[in-house]
Amino acid sequence: MIAALACGSVGYLRLGLAEVRADMNTPTWEGQLVKFAVQASVRRNAAELHNPPPPTDENLIAGGKLYLGGCAGCHGKPGKPPDNLPGYLSPRQFFQAGTQYSEPELFWIVKHGIRNTGMSAYGPFYSDQQIWTLAAFVKRVNNLPPTLLEGIRAKR
Amino acid sequence: MGSLAAIVALAVGAAGYLGLGFANVGADAKPPIWEAVLMNSSVHASVRREAPKVQNSGVATDEILIAGGKLYLNDCVGCHGAPGKPASAFGATFYPPAPQFFLIGTQYSEAQVFWVAKHGIRRTGMFPEGRYYTDTELWTLSAFVTRSATLSPIVMKGMQQPPE
Repeated sequence: MIAALACGSVGYLRLGLAEVRADMNTPTWEGQLVKFAVQASVRRNAAELHNPPPPTDENLIAGGKLYLGGCAGCHGKPGKPPDNLPGYLSPRQFFQAGTQYSEPELFWIVKHGIRNTGMSAYGPFYSDQQIWTLAAFVKRVNNLPPTLLEGIRAKR
Repeated sequence: MGSLAAIVALAVGAAGYLGLGFANVGADAKPPIWEAVLMNSSVHASVRREAPKVQNSGVATDEILIAGGKLYLNDCVGCHGAPGKPASAFGATFYPPAPQFFLIGTQYSEAQVFWVAKHGIRRTGMFPEGRYYTDTELWTLSAFVTRSATLSPIVMKGMQQPPE
């Protein structure tokens, strides 16, 4: 019976019957299942990560500058309306939706990426210290004083 | 009865595996060969089925290829690589990695490249560009991408010129 299931699956895929277009909404069951598995895996992997740096203004501004340079294109800019993209590539709009992930979990995601999504791994481009400041910023993204947001936009 | 029990056991096992966080979700790894082959062949089979049966009626003149090349340099080059350059380091950090057209070309036909550019590929970083570009523009892009290995010096030079 397992062989029959496997043959059926391969046939389904090889005949091209699996829909692959990204410009339509993700079915609820698929979205929930993926979220369930991804959150559990991130929680497990990030459990051993500690020592996020203190959320000083200096660190948050450093993280915010990284965010504007590397993340804002997909995840949204402060004070701007969300970019509501169709289902399969609908990156979290942090300034509207915030995040349920902890700082170590955000650190892990930024560093390693999430496979089979548009979230690529930034470990090759940023130091751990930089990624920690970014995680501190994203975690507090909706509780930042206006002066700090201005500091982020200021040129160094 | 035995079959039903097997299906239930499989489902419970799968839910436990996922719920305990054992599925590796990091993108900074190379997809295993079996996964890459299965995914690539399934995606290509689906695109073959969906892509328009008619080919782009326009002839791929230098002008069309240059227009497509300009779009490519504007929007695709960051992940898919630039002509005469090594593979894109950014494109390599996706799972699956973005194909590097100037190093490996593409097996997709012009109509298939058009379809992929317009609709994107779910569960990859390939974004549906139909939101931003007209069909006419995407046809010039697909003409360019399918010929990325055999572009004439005129096209290579023309696409680098800034707009007048």
